[in-house]
Amino acid sequence: MGRLAIENVSVDFGGVHALKDVSFAFESGSIVGLIGPNGAGKSTLLNCISGITRPTAGRVRLDEAVLSERNASSVAGLGIGRVFQHPELVLDLSVRENLMIACHRSLGYGLVSELLMVPSVWRREREAAGRVADVLRRLGIADSADAEVRNLPYGHRKLIDLGRALLMDIGFLLLDEPIAGLNDPEIAHLTELLFELRREFGFGILVVEHNMPFVSRLCERLVVLDLGQLIADGRPADVLGDARVIASYLGEAADA
Amino acid sequence: MTNATDIAGLPGRRSSHGSELVLAGLGVALACVAPFWLNGYGLYLLTLTAIFAIVALGLNLLTGYAGQISLCHAALFGVGAYATALLTSKAGWPYLVSLPVGALLTTAIGAAVAVPALRLKNLYLAIATLGFGVVLQKTIFEWRSLTGGGGGLSLAPPTIAGHELGATGLYYLALAFLVLGLWGAWNLSRGRTGRALRLIKESEIAAASLGIHIARYKVTAFAVSAFYTAIAGGLFAYLVRYINPESFNVGLSIGFLSMIVIGGLGTIGGSIVGALFYVVVPELLRGIKDAPGLVFGVVLVMVMVFMPQGLWGMARRFLGRR
Repeated sequence: MGRLAIENVSVDFGGVHALKDVSFAFESGSIVGLIGPNGAGKSTLLNCISGITRPTAGRVRLDEAVLSERNASSVAGLGIGRVFQHPELVLDLSVRENLMIACHRSLGYGLVSELLMVPSVWRREREAAGRVADVLRRLGIADSADAEVRNLPYGHRKLIDLGRALLMDIGFLLLDEPIAGLNDPEIAHLTELLFELRREFGFGILVVEHNMPFVSRLCERLVVLDLGQLIADGRPADVLGDARVIASYLGEAADA
Repeated sequence: MTNATDIAGLPGRRSSHGSELVLAGLGVALACVAPFWLNGYGLYLLTLTAIFAIVALGLNLLTGYAGQISLCHAALFGVGAYATALLTSKAGWPYLVSLPVGALLTTAIGAAVAVPALRLKNLYLAIATLGFGVVLQKTIFEWRSLTGGGGGLSLAPPTIAGHELGATGLYYLALAFLVLGLWGAWNLSRGRTGRALRLIKESEIAAASLGIHIARYKVTAFAVSAFYTAIAGGLFAYLVRYINPESFNVGLSIGFLSMIVIGGLGTIGGSIVGALFYVVVPELLRGIKDAPGLVFGVVLVMVMVFMPQGLWGMARRFLGRR
């Protein structure tokens, strides 16, 4: 069990307060929704956790490790997975090869062995390919393993991005608008999948999403940001009934 | 040599690689017997093609795979040439020892200058590497006591185990290095480094979020690329047997870049095709009176307009491989 803690995090971008003194924490195994109007600081917060943006004040901790002092690749190495709103994949590589990229750390062979393709490199590549095949089956896209990513529908690409995170032995998963661009059956599939994966892998999920039915169904807790400040934190039913939340966000969403 | 271009390119073709291996074998076999049909000048051109192909393989790893542009590869080519030449002619080392040692030396220099440069991107990186190239080239020029400065350096034919290496011998040596280089690049492009570089080119943030150490990989790409280029430089020095700092200018760097763009960025086959194109097409145009350079320029434009993925990419498409 791990604990991811955002402690008094503030981020200024040249005088603009993207985040102001935000604090909350959650445990692995829980699913937390991060909601709020556009420009509320949700993506900035995800970037702070992933080590892409450094907080101006405060810190992010994973148990005893201070993530906000590390760079993005080191944060990923500690088991923080990130799935982007728009999947960043290598379009002319196959699905399998794109997933092999996520086995990067576990492969761990050196440059010279790789240049010479020594037998131990072969062996490790085969092992990694086996793990990739398992993940592809788990995501229900094993048939596409050899397809070039450019030929795949958007929904599949999002699953591949999720698959990369699964291959990294993560304790926490950060999802940025996971259902944007997906159709209803794909959303239903993803919702079930996330529940199952959480059960199997035991990781915690922090999800940024605008779709309230999806968020209320998936999350057991919601954190609401508005103008960089945390304005509500609690069970979905309570949060969505909160007057401030309705005023700042849901009213706007209803208008939209 | 011509058919060595058939060696397959992109990492991770999903098809089996059997046919590509057969083609590669045929290409190497043809390259092995080619000297029997060629006169001295033809052999020189073929050796030059092999040498440039080694550079293109290295540069393609850096630029085609990792997306990092370099305008200092001519200078690294020059440092490799001088390092090998000086270790052989002044220090008296055997050619086959000074060649890799000179290349390792160049790699260290290349990696050291790469560290600050690789924080930059695109045009900024191009200008920074241009600057490093000028510094390296001018250092060779000014360090007269060691390099002979602008007067250049004349070299005796190299010897291997007491035997003088003639034009044919040097060709086979270059070919051997090319085959080794192909094998290494092929392995690298399909292994974890090649995959990581591909994603770094696509999105550095996505790569970092998968635990890939961006700076380390860029420096690795630069170092491997410098090693290839320096080996080629050490071969080039003994192909022309007279080297002069002026030869290793930014014009040649741009020539190297044009090889990989014409051949096909991010493809291994493209490196070979591009080098062949760069050496052979101007020769074919020689017969044109007055303006062969002009025609070559037009040909370059046409290739880029009609085959933006390069000759190799076009061939692949034509053969229905992708």
